Amino acid sequence: MPSAPTPATEVRNDRAEPRKNGRRFDPHRFGPVVGLLLLLIVGTALNPDFATWDNLMNVLTRTAFIGIISIGMCFVIISGGIDLSVGSMAALIAGGMILLMNALAGSVGSPVAVVMLGMLFALLLGGGFGLAHGYLITRGRIEPFIVTLGTLGIFRAVLTWLADGGAITLDNDLSDAYGPVYYGSLLGIPVPVWVFLAVSVAGAVLLNRTAFGRYVQAIGSNEQVARFAAVDVDRVKLLTYGLLGVCVGVATVLYVPRLGSASPTTGLLWELEAIAAVIVGGTSFKGGEGRIAGTVIGAVLLSVISNILNLTSIISVYLNAAVQGCVIIAVAFLQRRRP
Amino acid sequence: MSEVARYTRRMVLGTGLAMAATVALGGIAFAADTVKLGVSIPAATHGFTGGIVWWANQAKAELEKAHPNLKITVKTASGAPEQANQLQDLVTVTKIDSLVIFPFESAALTQPVMQAKKKNVYVTVVDRGLTDTSAQDAYIAGDNTAFGRIPAEYIAKKYNGKANIVALRGIPTTLDNERWEAFTGVLKQYPDIKILDGKYANWNRDDAFKVTQDFLTRFKDIDVVWAADDDMAFGVLKAIEQAKRTDIKEVFGGAGSKTMVKTILDGSNPLIRADVSYSPKFIYDAIKMTAEARLKGDKLPATYIIPSALITKENAKEFYFPDSPY
Amino acid sequence: MSLHVAFDGITKEFGPVRVLHGVGFDLHPGRVHGLLGENGAGKSTLMKILAGYHAPTSGTLGIDGEPVTFRNSRDAEKRGIVLIHQELSLADDLTVAQNMFLGHEIKRGWLLDDRAMREQATAALRQVGFERDPDTKVRDLIVAEKQLVEIAKAQLRNARLLIMDEPTASLTPSECDRLFGLIDRLRRDGVTIVYISHKLDEVERITDEVIVMRDGRFVARAPTAETPRQRMAELMVGRELTDMFPDKHIPALGKPLMTVRGLTVPGWAEDVSFDLHPGEILGFAGLVGAGRTELFEGILGLRPRSGGTVEIEGRPVALRSPREAMRNGLTYLSEDRKGKGLHVNMGLRDNLTLMTLRHHAQPLLSPASEERALEHAVTSFGIRGNPQGTASSLSGGNQQKLAIAKFLEPDPRVFVLDEPTRGVDVGAKRDIYFLIARLAAEGRGVIVISSELIELIGLCHRVIVMRGRRVTATVPADRLSEEELIAHAIGTHTRH
Repeated sequence: MPSAPTPATEVRNDRAEPRKNGRRFDPHRFGPVVGLLLLLIVGTALNPDFATWDNLMNVLTRTAFIGIISIGMCFVIISGGIDLSVGSMAALIAGGMILLMNALAGSVGSPVAVVMLGMLFALLLGGGFGLAHGYLITRGRIEPFIVTLGTLGIFRAVLTWLADGGAITLDNDLSDAYGPVYYGSLLGIPVPVWVFLAVSVAGAVLLNRTAFGRYVQAIGSNEQVARFAAVDVDRVKLLTYGLLGVCVGVATVLYVPRLGSASPTTGLLWELEAIAAVIVGGTSFKGGEGRIAGTVIGAVLLSVISNILNLTSIISVYLNAAVQGCVIIAVAFLQRRRP
Repeated sequence: MSEVARYTRRMVLGTGLAMAATVALGGIAFAADTVKLGVSIPAATHGFTGGIVWWANQAKAELEKAHPNLKITVKTASGAPEQANQLQDLVTVTKIDSLVIFPFESAALTQPVMQAKKKNVYVTVVDRGLTDTSAQDAYIAGDNTAFGRIPAEYIAKKYNGKANIVALRGIPTTLDNERWEAFTGVLKQYPDIKILDGKYANWNRDDAFKVTQDFLTRFKDIDVVWAADDDMAFGVLKAIEQAKRTDIKEVFGGAGSKTMVKTILDGSNPLIRADVSYSPKFIYDAIKMTAEARLKGDKLPATYIIPSALITKENAKEFYFPDSPY
Repeated sequence: MSLHVAFDGITKEFGPVRVLHGVGFDLHPGRVHGLLGENGAGKSTLMKILAGYHAPTSGTLGIDGEPVTFRNSRDAEKRGIVLIHQELSLADDLTVAQNMFLGHEIKRGWLLDDRAMREQATAALRQVGFERDPDTKVRDLIVAEKQLVEIAKAQLRNARLLIMDEPTASLTPSECDRLFGLIDRLRRDGVTIVYISHKLDEVERITDEVIVMRDGRFVARAPTAETPRQRMAELMVGRELTDMFPDKHIPALGKPLMTVRGLTVPGWAEDVSFDLHPGEILGFAGLVGAGRTELFEGILGLRPRSGGTVEIEGRPVALRSPREAMRNGLTYLSEDRKGKGLHVNMGLRDNLTLMTLRHHAQPLLSPASEERALEHAVTSFGIRGNPQGTASSLSGGNQQKLAIAKFLEPDPRVFVLDEPTRGVDVGAKRDIYFLIARLAAEGRGVIVISSELIELIGLCHRVIVMRGRRVTATVPADRLSEEELIAHAIGTHTRH
């Protein structure tokens, strides 16, 4: 450590420094939580079945895919990037994984082994797609919006082609071996919820307690400053997209056993849901600042809205999307930043 | 000079013969030497539209093989504006003389089709009628009323006019409304049949899964789920399986997809016993009818409704096409 | 034409913090007022109230005898009051002319009248001595040129009172001369001017009177002619000012720590060679645009190099990024503190440890370890402010101390500081000078790039002068003088 000079002056300045943006209690941080609590109260009031354990587990389980993708998306957005392709990517990974497993079913004896290989393939494929994005963005110097808009079309088109426009369906005995990954539970909690929880915790640790996470925030906050501060900006960005790809792979691994099929509608608009979950959860769209816990709450909040709408008939079905829109805007208002 | 004269004479003779032949065939219109047929359909984004694309290409392969003077161009579009652009290209670049179109939206495509017709293109509209019927020469469609009516009648009969039903709907469109009104219209006559609720699941397996999960949470006693689409029925079945519910006796899909018909044929799922046909094969029929009529110089009837039929174990074989993706 | 401003009991609170405590004084029409005070004294806040950016918490602002309330800066502009920001407020992607008319576009019917705007812009720009095409994008201007555009823009608005916040921070001597000529002319036209600057020689040269603020309070006002610089500084700091600079301990020249030979950064620096010795403070002088900053960005690998070699501690290095530079014992603190030096929206701790996170990872980051590093830096560098706040909550001087601490965290052998005292108050400047001397005494090589000649003369052991991309002279300590440095920096020709 370098030593510093003794302060040059004996006259210590004891005036009050302006303390803006101090880390005091900030009610806006809790906007998504407040929004979720209000929704839970409203849901329970409208239909007592809402507050049952089974319904809550249903909601959490179906949130798991979007939630896990959102956590990866959170890193990308904090670093100042975006990925529009995640829905299509999930669809293509699902399709590719099913085709591989069906093909292996003949040569590899145990269905469980086939499923394991399929899962591994899904994770590798996701990571590979993500790194390809990162590579095009950092080395190719192409805007992430454009790169991932391009792959959004490519992934879905390739899947549609593989499926001949129809659905790719997993063989029955494989489906039985794979089913527990979605439908099974541990200690009364469905497997996807456990995975969602694990990914969330890992994401929070990675973002807040590792050098990588700090670099991601530093790059999103100001890329130039990070570069001058000896951060390997390109490598960190590359890894954020790779991480998101792996998250999409994990989500797909959980998704496939649900229906045992992939079709051109698989993962449709997931990218918007994932981005919405991240932003509703209090992450700045401009990058630099973000929260994993908020993202998780944001994702849950989005599914709770549609769950409540399905459990009641007080609003015309034609207005469902409008209700969702209003809630999203209201929550964003609660957690808005002061200028 | 004499050679030229001889040549001219032969041509006149030839033309005369051809004209005589046309007249002999009895048509007022004369048969074209070649028919350039354009097919404009939605891109495959769903099992059903996937089937449409497959059947259209099937028709192209078979018909072009059978008729060397027939050229079929198939274009798929993912939205109404794109379809309108493709229509222009078909007319001006490919120079088609006949068109089979499955419009994305009735209103948005009426004018573009009208423009094509004004350039002497023979127009067959499939499935969704245009708002101005003078833009079409022929209209071939599946029976959307029957699509809703048949399952309603089936359910009413089978459950003796007493059942609790939850229903899924597609995407808010006229098509969906016609089916829904036909379905609810029939069931109104049975006071003991209750439609507990109907929600949109966008003809999507995943959405159908979620909506069904929530229906199952909300309603403790359900007899029949009208999934209104075989893709959606797939999601419904998974949700029921997960919830381990035994009160539900039947899931009724719609459209007669390959897997669904196979299930009925084999009797492999007790929840699936019947379906209503609304096969994407009608695009194949429409292309075939149009092409053959044009080759002969015939006209098609102004409206041709391909009837929808109830599929049960007894007749399922007739609706099973193992090669089709749908 | 001219206007009279009276502040009366102005207070301003940001949340619980009071930054102005009942300030009251007048600004007289047609005079140039030097407004002095350390960073954080409340000068900027007061001027933002005058220009309509903030509303006072209490007290009244009087213009020509009547109390006024400005809702925004446009209201103030309508009364002829224009503030030229310290951080230049131009849109980088618009052209010079578009910027000058931003929000005040001339229209013909519905359409913009580009020709009229360009003509008026050209005329106004010529008056401030800006010679480039008004269709140039602001992004392509150097900082000094942007400053001129700001002033020309204010003139277009027929300013009757012009507030200039550190206008010469990045101007060359000749550009400064032109600015002072301009201020003189404006004064003759009856425009009131408030001139905020840390450069007391400029204040002495062009102001009619000085007004001093300290700790959010009015301290004193006096005619400039009767107030020597020493007195001004004492009023600002509130104490006797002793020697500004530490004693020079020029090291015996041994084996160089860093050797640069024939280095060329295309477009910016050509054939530059120099040595840096352990314990040495090496200055780099030159006009803005002489290529000093770009030379070091080239050494760091941020700009392409087309030739030459760099050795650090005898090892040849070809650095490709600041990361490689750090690993080879070289760190560089940019002149652009907010754009390249600090994450102003992040906390002090996160800023400080960014370069050395590996030291705090085991393998997860230890907040306690980072907190210790921050505590150490706060005490040893004298950083004053809320340690839990963001970097932006610090005053300029404390931000700079934090930035220096950050770039010293990797314990570099060679430390390059680009404009280390820009926008820093007198007290903090002195702290920084003593700190630099201490770093050198520890055996590091320190390079100081500066536009303030006094600083280079007072601090450096040797000064290299650059002009037009080349090194024109190396001046040893005993020959350092303003005249000598200016002569080499300007050469026999002026810049035009």
